[in-house]
Amino acid sequence: MNNYDASLINDLAPRKFTKRGVIWTSFLVILIILGIIAYADQLIKGQVVTSMRDYALWGIYISNFVFFVATSFVGSVAVAILRLSKKSWRTPLVRIAEIITFASISMAGITIMIDMARPDRLLYLFIYGRLQSPIIWDVIIIPTFLAISFLLLYYPLLPDFAILKNHFKEKNSTLSKWYGRLSLNWSGSEVQKAVQSRAIKILAVLILPVGIVLQTIDAWLFSTTYRIGWDSTNFGPYFIAGAFVAGMGALIAVVYVVRRVRNLENYITDLHFDKLGKLLVLACLIYLYFNINEYLIPFFTAKKGEMTHLDVLFTGHYAPLFWFVTIGGLIIPIIVLMFKKGRKPFPMFIIALLVVVASWWKRYLIVTPTLLHPFLPIQGVPESWHHYFPSLHEWIITTATLAMALLIITLLVRYLPVIPIERTAEERELLKNNKNIES
Amino acid sequence: MKNQLKFRTVFLVFLSVFFITSGFSQEVEKAKVRLKADYVKVMGGEVYFNINASAKVNDENIKVPDLDLTIYNEVGDEKIKLGEAKTDVNGDGKLVLESLNSIKPDSTNTYNVSISFKGNDSFKRASKSLSFRDAAIEAKLITEDSINYISATLIDNSIDSLIVGALLRVQVQRLFKPLKIGEEYNITDDDGTVVVTIPEGIPGEDGNLIVEVVLYESDAFGTVKALVQAPVGSVKVVDESTFNQRTMWSPRNKTPLFMLIFPNLLILGIWGFIIYLFINLFKIAKS
Repeated sequence: MNNYDASLINDLAPRKFTKRGVIWTSFLVILIILGIIAYADQLIKGQVVTSMRDYALWGIYISNFVFFVATSFVGSVAVAILRLSKKSWRTPLVRIAEIITFASISMAGITIMIDMARPDRLLYLFIYGRLQSPIIWDVIIIPTFLAISFLLLYYPLLPDFAILKNHFKEKNSTLSKWYGRLSLNWSGSEVQKAVQSRAIKILAVLILPVGIVLQTIDAWLFSTTYRIGWDSTNFGPYFIAGAFVAGMGALIAVVYVVRRVRNLENYITDLHFDKLGKLLVLACLIYLYFNINEYLIPFFTAKKGEMTHLDVLFTGHYAPLFWFVTIGGLIIPIIVLMFKKGRKPFPMFIIALLVVVASWWKRYLIVTPTLLHPFLPIQGVPESWHHYFPSLHEWIITTATLAMALLIITLLVRYLPVIPIERTAEERELLKNNKNIES
Repeated sequence: MKNQLKFRTVFLVFLSVFFITSGFSQEVEKAKVRLKADYVKVMGGEVYFNINASAKVNDENIKVPDLDLTIYNEVGDEKIKLGEAKTDVNGDGKLVLESLNSIKPDSTNTYNVSISFKGNDSFKRASKSLSFRDAAIEAKLITEDSINYISATLIDNSIDSLIVGALLRVQVQRLFKPLKIGEEYNITDDDGTVVVTIPEGIPGEDGNLIVEVVLYESDAFGTVKALVQAPVGSVKVVDESTFNQRTMWSPRNKTPLFMLIFPNLLILGIWGFIIYLFINLFKIAKS
């Protein structure tokens, strides 16, 4: 095993929470506890505590689920695509992307269970599920993607765990022991390196199609239902493009915060933000293109049902949200990030937050308005069925799931090296050797 | 004294108002029930009486449900109870006989039946008499020169003779209402027979039609009906049911094979890699 630069390990090794870190974590824990209480109440009283009724039978939970699934796509983009295209600047960003992917897909699985009125019947999905149903495809693909994202996070960590084991040997023996166990006796031998390298290659190739399948299945949950606003052959790529945007937004926001909190300015530089900004512009442009497809053709063909749906979005009840999502979540990021100044860390952070918030609401707009226009209208339905706005229970539980995702990210950032230590050291060594050879 | 007398008179007049009005008050008048009865005979099938009860209440005709009716066979002075029937919400009741032999005719071979209602709190007692003779329809399918006909002969069984000049309905059974075929009026000829052409192209399940020949509510014979199974319809009703087939909307044990094979291969392939990668973690730990 190599002896790496001590300052490098000091910079990149996990650190204790600062006071702000403790406050932040406590805040998240409080939100989660409130969410658990609200969920227990939902379990006891039933889904009557939500605003979901016969029309809007999918509400904020499903919007939130789709958002988590979309955000998890960042692993496929940042890790797989950048790795397969051999972009070396990816190194300080990949682990954060892997952490976001793992946290998001874990929470997607939990969120979908929250939407079930009888979670005790979860096993029935496996026992009685029909393979023809997109719901079952989702049930299969989420654990699959979760397993892959776990392995993709874990494999590259092995050498870093071994480094941390030595690093914490004297400072914190308990932590050192844990890192030792997690490192799986990593010694950096040729055999271990070969196995690890092969595994990462397989995972990088595997996560891309599985990520695309995950997003596509998520889209097919909607597009196989004949409903206005969902019944579209465009929906698969539309969801993939949307996931690209949401994932990149989340990555930039988390990278900015981690960089500031951990003082990693020397490792995550303006160059990285510049590259990420360009990627986000590309994602937004692709998503804008699919949005135009999704709304322009129904508007042009002007079928009655489609027009009613579009009127609600363009000028009706959901117009403010629709234009915020379109302008705030796509047009403004494209304009700002086109300029070099816009791709500086702080403007990028603001834009990334805007993109993430807009991405969340975009899922709400995909799910809710369509359900409020039933395929077969029923006469004499209660007035409340025609409208949907989440109840307090739904808001508290949804906020708790978002807090839980952030808590997973926070804890992983606390205990894992957010920038791969071994790989950074090797790259720096390589760079130094190259310079020596040149001189 | 005069005033006292006046007062007594006024008081008695005042009281008398209550007594007189209570004397006038009487029970609400019971309504009169109208009974309607038909005798129906299906050749080779049921023999029954269709009864309907209605009444005029507040100048409005209403159907009378839940009336208990008793049906008698009257032979001379003798009244033989045949059975009981109760009207439903539409005021309809039905008494099915085992066969026509279960009732007796009089000396003129006429069957006399009476339907009687004892009366209740709301309706007065009522009765209805019905007399009929036994008739039969012999119907058959004939095919000549590729044209299909229904031939039906009407016979008066009481005197064993053909009935001439009677109006018969010839119709094909349909889901909601029978489809009349033939002339507007099919009247039996000197042989007591009508012959009606069955038009081509009438759809039937597997091409089968059920043709009815009906003597409808005849004063002398009641309703007599003969049914003929005629496999001369066109097969338009194609069974498009995918029941028990492997389709995308079938239950899980009827999943299409391609849905079983390709996704499972894909799932097994991916999970094969995942398991291989987990095993590799053990390899790393051991090496």
